[in-house]
Amino acid sequence: MRGIDHRILVGFALLIALIAILSYLTLFSGAVGLSWSDLSFKGGQYDSVEARIFWQIRVPRLVAAVLSGISLAVAGLSLQTLFRNPLAGPFVLGISSGASLGVALSLLAGFTFGHFGVLSGAAAGALAVTSVVMFVASRFENSTILLIVGLLMGYFIDALVSLLIMGSDAESLRVYVSWGMGSFGRLTFDGIWIFALCTVVGLVLVALSIRYLNAARMGDDFAKGLGVNVRQGRVMVLLGASLLAAASTAFCGPVAFVGIAVPHLSFMLFKTSNHRVLMPASALCGVVLCLAASQFSKFPLNAVLSLVGVPVVLWVIVRGGGLRR
Amino acid sequence: MNLPLNATLLQCENLVIGYKQDKRSDAVGLVTPVDFELKAGEVVALLGENGSGKSTFLKTLCGLLQPVSGSVLLQGKSQWTARERAKFITLVRMGGVVCDRMNVREFVGLGRMPYAGLFDGRNQEDENFVSEALALLEIEKFKDRWLTELSDGERSRVYLAQAVAQQVNVLLLDEPNAFMDIPRSRKLFTLLQKLAKERDMGILVSTHSVEYAEKYCDRIMVIEKGFARCERASDARARGLLDWTEG
Repeated sequence: MRGIDHRILVGFALLIALIAILSYLTLFSGAVGLSWSDLSFKGGQYDSVEARIFWQIRVPRLVAAVLSGISLAVAGLSLQTLFRNPLAGPFVLGISSGASLGVALSLLAGFTFGHFGVLSGAAAGALAVTSVVMFVASRFENSTILLIVGLLMGYFIDALVSLLIMGSDAESLRVYVSWGMGSFGRLTFDGIWIFALCTVVGLVLVALSIRYLNAARMGDDFAKGLGVNVRQGRVMVLLGASLLAAASTAFCGPVAFVGIAVPHLSFMLFKTSNHRVLMPASALCGVVLCLAASQFSKFPLNAVLSLVGVPVVLWVIVRGGGLRR
Repeated sequence: MNLPLNATLLQCENLVIGYKQDKRSDAVGLVTPVDFELKAGEVVALLGENGSGKSTFLKTLCGLLQPVSGSVLLQGKSQWTARERAKFITLVRMGGVVCDRMNVREFVGLGRMPYAGLFDGRNQEDENFVSEALALLEIEKFKDRWLTELSDGERSRVYLAQAVAQQVNVLLLDEPNAFMDIPRSRKLFTLLQKLAKERDMGILVSTHSVEYAEKYCDRIMVIEKGFARCERASDARARGLLDWTEG
């Protein structure tokens, strides 16, 4: 674990290079091809259609893809470790269901949640579920109980959403369904700062729990034996992961694939369980995946991620020798 | 930590161990009050039938379980921060979760966690302790293999190496030779003797191998029918401490 070995260095360099290429493609290619010269300012005004496309569509899309990639991957990784379950992710905790309920309330039942409308609805829903999960977490030591509670909450909320869907008109239903398909194109320039802030706070909470995450894989007693504050670690990881997942779900819709697949992908690449390496690695892999998906901006995000992502990830896992169980 | 020879590392005063069934009912005491001292440089064997309370006793000593009553003092102190405690005492258990996706060296490196900073980094000193532990348990040749690929006996040595890398003063072991073959078990007990003598560690090891307990340990503690007794290993049989083994 000392220093950074060769494999890890090469891995990080590769991922960063990929991100650079994909970012360039996201910003400058698409329905309208752009170049640097289109982007010049005159007197602080956007002087062309091209510059407007760049600043109001392309940059927010890039930021949305990068931030969701980071937040979904890190949330997925930390929750998989916390629950010692390779299938865990932000979505099994009911966080996405909570966000969906908020969105459904705002789109289908006409509740308004202030300035950001749908987005704050999603955030409120995700936060509500998180607080229930946190309450359960503070009362029970057993992580499996949390997992069950999260799943049950998800079912309960999905039922509520389906009731809302029954009583809604065709147009709002269409908007709701389109939110559910996921997109990086919905983030506005104003929203960037909120999304970025949520991501940074969530990342800090999870990153401060690296010792807990590294020890937690062997169980809570083992972690305690290594002098780790288990209760605090669990609360911080849950809070951080929820925040990351909620922000991403609010701004880009429920995207389950990244949180589940990326931790496995980055383990296959880096062959370590040390979260000091695995966490930044997952973040970068998540960004690569989301940027790649954002190249197909005409199609629903979840469809692209699943159609392209599933075969790729399956290939990597099969070639990488399975899950080492 | 350098301590004078024969210093008392761990001390139980009127310790009653057991589990709390739930919040309403009273705790169930497994063993009548125990007074016990573990000194630097000695290996004490902990014997008793299944379910007699050996594991409960060990878990209580290292702070994973609260005592029903009485207290456990480490170097005369009862209040320790989690991290300082982890540098002083650790419990090695054999069964339980086998961590997938972790190789042997990485796992042994976890033993250095009590000494690591906020982001769990490692320095050269940590690496040296890890290498030394790998060598001591003779597991260098599979240091790059996954934990899940090892046999139970091999994995037992990996768990021990992790505890050795942790550089504690008090080592508690819960049936470390449960999965080991006979030569390995003997090697294990000689290693425990060596660790105790050379590093002034206090070692308490639960086992069912009565013969190794008599041959390689300084004292024997027996938990039987809710009573705990402790004698020098050489006197244990004469004083009837092992009568229960004849069944």
